[in-house]
Amino acid sequence: MKERAEAEDVLQRALQAARADEADAVFIRTDRNISRFANSNVHQNMSEVTAELALRVVVDGAMGIATTTVLDDDEIERTADLAREAARHARPLPGYRGLYHDPGSVADLDTFDEETAAIAPAAKATDVRRMFDRGRTAAIDFAGSYTTSAMSVACANSHGVTRFCRTSFADATVIALAGSTSGYATRCGRTTKNVDITALGEEASEKALMLRERDVAFEPGRYDVIVEPAAVAEILDWMNMIAFSGQSFEDGSSFFVGNVGSKMFPQSLTIADDAIDPNFLPFPFDLEGFPKRRIPLIESGVIRTPVVDKAWSDRLGIAPTGNAWHLGSPDHGSAFHLSIAPGDQTREELIASTERGIWVTRFNYVNGLLEPKSALMTGTTRDGTFLIRDGHVAARLPNLRWTQSIVEAFANLDGLSRERRAIGTWYNPFGGSISPALRIRGWNFTAGS
Amino acid sequence: MTPGRDQLADLLSSIGRPALRYADVRYTRTLQQHVKVRNGEIDHLASTVDRAAGVRVLVGDGWGFAATADTSEESLRATALRALEVAAASNIASTAKVTLSDVEPHTAAWKSSFEIDPWSVPLNRKIDHLLAATEPMRGDPRIHQVSGEISCYRQEKIFASTAGSYLEQTTTQMGGGIDAVAISNGDFQRRTYPNPFGGDYQAEGWEFIERLDLPGKGLQIRDEALALLDAPKAPAGRFDLIIGSAQLALQVHESCGHPTELDRAMGLEISLAGGSFLQPEMLGRFRYGSDLVNIVADATVPGAIGSFGFDDDGVPAQRFHLVENGMFVGYLTGRDTAAVIGRRSNGTVRAESAARIPIIRMTNINLEPGATPLDEIVRDTRRGVLVETNKSWSIDDVRLNFQFGCEVAWEIENGRIGRLLKNPVYTGTTPDFWRSCDAVGDSASWRVWGLPNCGKGDPMQTMRVAHGAPAARFRNVEMA
Repeated sequence: MKERAEAEDVLQRALQAARADEADAVFIRTDRNISRFANSNVHQNMSEVTAELALRVVVDGAMGIATTTVLDDDEIERTADLAREAARHARPLPGYRGLYHDPGSVADLDTFDEETAAIAPAAKATDVRRMFDRGRTAAIDFAGSYTTSAMSVACANSHGVTRFCRTSFADATVIALAGSTSGYATRCGRTTKNVDITALGEEASEKALMLRERDVAFEPGRYDVIVEPAAVAEILDWMNMIAFSGQSFEDGSSFFVGNVGSKMFPQSLTIADDAIDPNFLPFPFDLEGFPKRRIPLIESGVIRTPVVDKAWSDRLGIAPTGNAWHLGSPDHGSAFHLSIAPGDQTREELIASTERGIWVTRFNYVNGLLEPKSALMTGTTRDGTFLIRDGHVAARLPNLRWTQSIVEAFANLDGLSRERRAIGTWYNPFGGSISPALRIRGWNFTAGS
Repeated sequence: MTPGRDQLADLLSSIGRPALRYADVRYTRTLQQHVKVRNGEIDHLASTVDRAAGVRVLVGDGWGFAATADTSEESLRATALRALEVAAASNIASTAKVTLSDVEPHTAAWKSSFEIDPWSVPLNRKIDHLLAATEPMRGDPRIHQVSGEISCYRQEKIFASTAGSYLEQTTTQMGGGIDAVAISNGDFQRRTYPNPFGGDYQAEGWEFIERLDLPGKGLQIRDEALALLDAPKAPAGRFDLIIGSAQLALQVHESCGHPTELDRAMGLEISLAGGSFLQPEMLGRFRYGSDLVNIVADATVPGAIGSFGFDDDGVPAQRFHLVENGMFVGYLTGRDTAAVIGRRSNGTVRAESAARIPIIRMTNINLEPGATPLDEIVRDTRRGVLVETNKSWSIDDVRLNFQFGCEVAWEIENGRIGRLLKNPVYTGTTPDFWRSCDAVGDSASWRVWGLPNCGKGDPMQTMRVAHGAPAARFRNVEMA
């Protein structure tokens, strides 16, 4: 395979140039096509081919890292020089026991779909145009994006660990705008078969048209809330940073600190880092070459472990979890395949059993830095927020601002849907999150937006 | 290999198609170095070199863009063909006419200036500087973490277009800062200098880092972090709020910079970043703030990281008002959007690198200084709160309803600064907030803050922007 041969050649040259006690390297080549649309018009259409080499060297226990997008021998030598210079000036990391020697075999996962990788821009444009034309008959305009990509990821280290994986990815996001109301739908997966943009357009349109004339005044306060997977994804993005990462555990800002082994949440809450689920976004290893496994972070309500890279695994005495997604990242572990276990109800049943609540499609501009120890976050709702009264969707609400501790919210979880949906995220090319809809008691809405 | 001027001209002429209306090619080489120390260790030490070329074409009413990391002649030609293929696809689903505002051809070279090249300063000097700032901050058991970081950034850019322009630009920037984290009894308090998220950034060299005097500020922020542990929570309710320069810079960013991006107002970014409450029919008619509020976009400020010579449409850098005496008067525009409001591009279209398409980005969006010294504003405040340094930020999808958390606050009683307060959070609605502004600090409290991490676009592009801001007072603001 051409991609594999290219990657192995680049990595071999990089490791040869490293000339250090230990070294590891990552090579990622991405071919990505993105069509963006707004006002039912494709206004940005892009094709990017990128390639990047990251080289880490370890000298006397100290690390230095350099990256380049230029792959000739001279530049790789220069990159190695920069990494060595950095390592020489760095200090040994306390407790660090070096790169992996034999981290085990990786799962055999189906990660690549040729048809998705090769889909022509014209084919995607035709699908998008069909959605525009259908929307026009209902006076609906669409905005959103449709992305497809192929990515080759390879890593190797000086102890003989080598990995290669080729992935495909499809992701579509659609907002339907019906005058002053809007709806939203999104899906992603390893193939375009997971992403039917016409169906997403219809789903978003249905929400945009729902209860358009029944907008009601809103009283701030605590409401039971049903949050759909796109909204949950926004929360999980922040939880990854402030609660699940190795760094947040080490610096004391995570609520996991002092609570590992404690049952903090209901039995129904299980959150795992699960990169081997074939129905999600499977990926077989992290960028240090550690095989991906299903790692429960919160299991049946019990705090289990943060996620770590090798250095923080050694430092904190935590079993390796395989969560290095950038060599030497200050996060020291990120959960890029967050998975919330499903429940046993439909979304409609969750709504029907809610006396007074709010149904949220999506959050906007969440920020999780208010008070990290309680995961206090703020944000607004958008693209479909509805009042539930006596088990019925009673009215459309304006966008709402909320400020809520997610530790408290997880403790107040009392329902999960059977159906789950995979949601992509802009900063994570390897995965995303997969979640059911959640029902949470007493979510704190502070104002109409 | 850096492509030559003739090579780019040949590439542009090779693109010729009967329906081709416009094409440009950009090349960037971006160098970055990042040093971070934490608790006496080197937490991150990395260098990056990123080289990219991008070709953008407008065929009929369809845009096409293709980018590559391989800048060989063969690759550039293949990239141009991909851009044409993408433009052809765009025309299948293009339903709106594209009108480009006029631009004169320019041939020019532009460079930001510096005294001491960031790359001429040895790594060990950068590390020693950070350790000298952070090591004295350690020792108290409640101080759980001290850290410091220094960043170096240089981007060399070449632009050539079928409008006849050929532009070479280089910007060199540095950033740095320190922080202290204190933890006690479940409380977590962070104090940073001069700003969080890596500090402050300027288009300067090592002289900027020396001027920051990180070693001279470490003990102060350590003491403030410790004091915050014992401080009372900032009160909830309505107060006269004095906002310090650094926090007000972010307020300008979120509540003026983003909503005055014309692409947002036109709905072009609504699926991800959102839209804008400032619609074109409000231009010149809408009272955005009080008479004291004057906000300019100024891409010509020397030393600010939002400055450049020409934008990525080849339009010269400009200075113009967004808000003048409180009235909304201007948008940030590009060639493909300005015509919608009957204006010419004011040159704010930029891309993170040549691997991305250019879109409207903030430049240096500055709240102009007023006439009142900060201490006079304080003396004139009977019951209020002074807040400074951002901790959290959130604003709705049309930039109306916001909530900001700050690292630190002080009570103001009868014109005097009183107790230290922790976890201040204020909230409001953009025009109500800016209309409540009744005092704008003078030039003594005004400074430009560099924000190197403004996110927008899909794929996400991180842009380097800046904001000048003084301290200012806002009446009757809700604190949570």
